[in-house]
Amino acid sequence: MIYFYSFLFCGFVCAISQYILEKSKLTPGHINTILVILGCILSGFGIYDKLISKFHAGATVPITNFGHLLVTGASLGFKESGVIGLFKGILINAGPGISFAIVCAFIISLLFKVKH
Amino acid sequence: MKNEEYDKLIKEIVVEDNIVGNIIISFFSGGLIGLIGEIISNFIFKNFNTTLSDSYMITFMIFIFIGSLLTGLGFFDKILSVCKCGLIVPSTGFANTMTSSAMDTRSEGFIKGIGSSIFKLTGSIILYGIVFGIIFGFIRGMLL
Repeated sequence: MIYFYSFLFCGFVCAISQYILEKSKLTPGHINTILVILGCILSGFGIYDKLISKFHAGATVPITNFGHLLVTGASLGFKESGVIGLFKGILINAGPGISFAIVCAFIISLLFKVKH
Repeated sequence: MKNEEYDKLIKEIVVEDNIVGNIIISFFSGGLIGLIGEIISNFIFKNFNTTLSDSYMITFMIFIFIGSLLTGLGFFDKILSVCKCGLIVPSTGFANTMTSSAMDTRSEGFIKGIGSSIFKLTGSIILYGIVFGIIFGFIRGMLL
């Protein structure tokens, strides 16, 4: 059953983004940025944790999860060491995603050439 | 040619995108990726000694790797034209934008090419993610 839930939620997010993409002149870059900000907002009020506990990987695969990871790291740091912890902790959870994407992009761009 | 004739010609030539069809396609392709992600993260959680949140992170990273590799091989755009938003919204889209901007400017050298333009498109995601992450991290720290 949980597989069906994750299918449903991830598909739902993709369908809404496709609708926005068709109806407006936004590019995929805009959509990704909007989704990250949306993830930050939902996570700031604790809604995203409920989504993850209900939809599991369906909620962690979309890019909205990136915003959630940033916010959870920042709030953990804030609880530990105050305002400086916000800046210390913001990349604790989301760091693996960013650094892995950078390393992957660098290595792949060295290995392959653009095909025309 | 008069304006009306021109409009008629345009309507005949340009095929309008089927919006409802595209939305349904992206629903199923995106859902399929969520399903695969659930299977992978379940597999990792049960077979390797990780926490649940770590297994989600590894799944996220696996999709980043797949997105990068498909972009490098040149298949990503072909799959994207079939799957629509189902590939942009998951982390594969994030990897694709980063890898493609790195690959495009590779010929201009390491510093001026790859180094300066790898964040050309994903920079906005990281910038607004961190700015809003600080604001809402503060709110979350106060509330929860």
